[in-house]
Amino acid sequence: MWQIIKNEWVYLSRNKTLLVVSSGFVLVLLVAVWLGHRQTQEQQQRYELAQKELRQQWENIDGMNPHGAAHYGTYVFKPAGLLSSLDEGVNNVTGKVLRVEGHVQNEIVYSEASQMQFVSKFGKLKTALLLQYILPLLLLFLAFHSVSSEKQNGRLKLLVLQGAKPSTLVWAKTLSVWSYGMLLLSLTFLVYLLFNGASLNAEVINRSLWFYLSYALYYFVISGLTVLFSARWQNATIALTSMLGIWMLWTIFLPNILLTSVEKWHELPSRNAFQAAMKEDRSKGIDGHNPADDRSKELEDKTLSEYGVDSLSQLPINFDGLVMQADEEYGNQVWDKHFGNLRKVFTQQKQSYQLAGILSPFISLQNASMGFSASDNLHHQEFLAQVEHYRRGFIKTLNDKHAYGGSKTGDWGWEADNDFFKSVPDYEYNSIALNSVFGHYIPDLLLLAGWSLLISLLLGVGTRKMQLI
Amino acid sequence: MIQIQNASKSFKDTTAVKDLNLEVGKGEIVGLLGANGAGKSTTINMLLGFISPDSGTVTIDQLDTTKKAAEIRKRIGYIPENVNLYPYLSGLENLDYFCRLAGLKYKKHELQEVLNTCGLQPEAHQQKVSGYSKGMRQKVGIAIAYAKKAAVYLLDEPASGLDPLASNELSDLLKKLAAEGATILMASHDIFRVREVCHRIGILKNGTLVKELRSEEVSANELESLYLEYMKN
Repeated sequence: MWQIIKNEWVYLSRNKTLLVVSSGFVLVLLVAVWLGHRQTQEQQQRYELAQKELRQQWENIDGMNPHGAAHYGTYVFKPAGLLSSLDEGVNNVTGKVLRVEGHVQNEIVYSEASQMQFVSKFGKLKTALLLQYILPLLLLFLAFHSVSSEKQNGRLKLLVLQGAKPSTLVWAKTLSVWSYGMLLLSLTFLVYLLFNGASLNAEVINRSLWFYLSYALYYFVISGLTVLFSARWQNATIALTSMLGIWMLWTIFLPNILLTSVEKWHELPSRNAFQAAMKEDRSKGIDGHNPADDRSKELEDKTLSEYGVDSLSQLPINFDGLVMQADEEYGNQVWDKHFGNLRKVFTQQKQSYQLAGILSPFISLQNASMGFSASDNLHHQEFLAQVEHYRRGFIKTLNDKHAYGGSKTGDWGWEADNDFFKSVPDYEYNSIALNSVFGHYIPDLLLLAGWSLLISLLLGVGTRKMQLI
Repeated sequence: MIQIQNASKSFKDTTAVKDLNLEVGKGEIVGLLGANGAGKSTTINMLLGFISPDSGTVTIDQLDTTKKAAEIRKRIGYIPENVNLYPYLSGLENLDYFCRLAGLKYKKHELQEVLNTCGLQPEAHQQKVSGYSKGMRQKVGIAIAYAKKAAVYLLDEPASGLDPLASNELSDLLKKLAAEGATILMASHDIFRVREVCHRIGILKNGTLVKELRSEEVSANELESLYLEYMKN
């Protein structure tokens, strides 16, 4: 087998057309990796700068009512993960800036897609685009005539007479094409490592290895299936046409059809309906029997009795702060209920879409690629959850200051000093460890491994009755 | 030694070979003459083990070519009408590659010696095969079989499209191989070349061996007349 692989590589290295195409592809790939790296770096620098300025502004507040400060709020920027320069996943459509303030959980804004001059299905030049769409096409064009050409020019007979088994030949051709794909993939990683060498850590390396493995499995599926078609069909054109059809089905039609179907099966509420339901729950109570006024009255009675006084003016604290925190906590319950439901639907959608990998390994590859790059919806939701957790602590600190900082009920002119604002912790993003979410990507990896196994079996079975003449 | 006994082969409704009996001994060259579709290539493919006869037996050195295909193939050298080598490799590299596939590792000078023996000019050894003439490729094809130390050579229209000089060189080479003890079966359209090279000649028509004779029994012209007579009837 090694002799055949070696010979295939001699062919690859001596084929001028292929060398030109490969060089062009490598160049584009390098540019894409560099652009991705530069964009990630610049974005991170911009966000860090903006975050720093915002923090400075916050720390420079010298005398402000804590509730006023809650409305003043702050901004949180979604950090660009190191691997998102390889696959930015949903990041360019989900937005990157989130305003954190009292009373409301804002939506994340300023997505890259929303600021694009034009929208294209394939978007801008990205590494993932090349690795997921173009490189497999290159492998396909390389493999479709690998065995059929041997048959068509009668060389297959000579090879078999020299002792080469058809199955060995097909495996060797598959591994040659696959190793070509792996070379380009490895080159991508090498350049990526060169750019990011200083920032690498165990987490990034761990994610990179799984990312690499996912692509390795997918390239094997593409290489093996194309070589198998080339072996089974007498004519190379039929092998190419069939494989192109499958490529289109896997990468264009099935992902779109199945994603739309999954979204229908597990439907998300419309934005308007969702916001109306939130508003209603917030004013009327989650169960519809606990309106805001009643809740407020209940809190007043409880506080007065707790402090043993008859009126709010007698309280040693600022009751307004308690009301606002209670309202905030109630709002959090409403948010948890509705966003909990949303997250449940997201999870159902993700799980169903993952199963679609049974029909198209490309779907599994995309899921795994985004997941291991920390740029899929799951990581985005985790980020939103972290920000919401921060927001709750942030607002509670301000409300508590308003309530217990020394002011009295109705004293809206009272101001906290600069030391207090400096003491409010800034948002700090805790990157999501792969170990904590790895289970979500096991189905994708298993499906890719399953596809590879299936192709391996087909390579064995399908070549048993291969026509040699 | 090649032995074909009562072998028949049909493809759907077409009979390719019918009750064929043929023997080719060690050191002997036998030519099969026949028009297109006469069954020459089917006979060779049965000997190569790529096609099984529907009835009868096809053996090489008493080994059944269908049941012992792998074993048989080690002993066979096959030279098709067009020896399609790898155009991006040189003649020497092609020979080396095909030898290695057969599990044979030769040193460079040994490979060069084989190519020389098979008549390929030394200056062509390192040239890419893409620049070779058909005759040069046929020589490398024979060199592959020779390096394998094939006991049996099966040639399917080997001289087709060769210029007279190349064709003559091929004839000399085959005679040399036979003199060294090789068993050679050659299918061809070329009556004169077959008459000149082969010890015995068989004429195939519609899958049936209609005539078998020794080449010294007839002149080239007589053979041509005989062949045409069989083809017309």
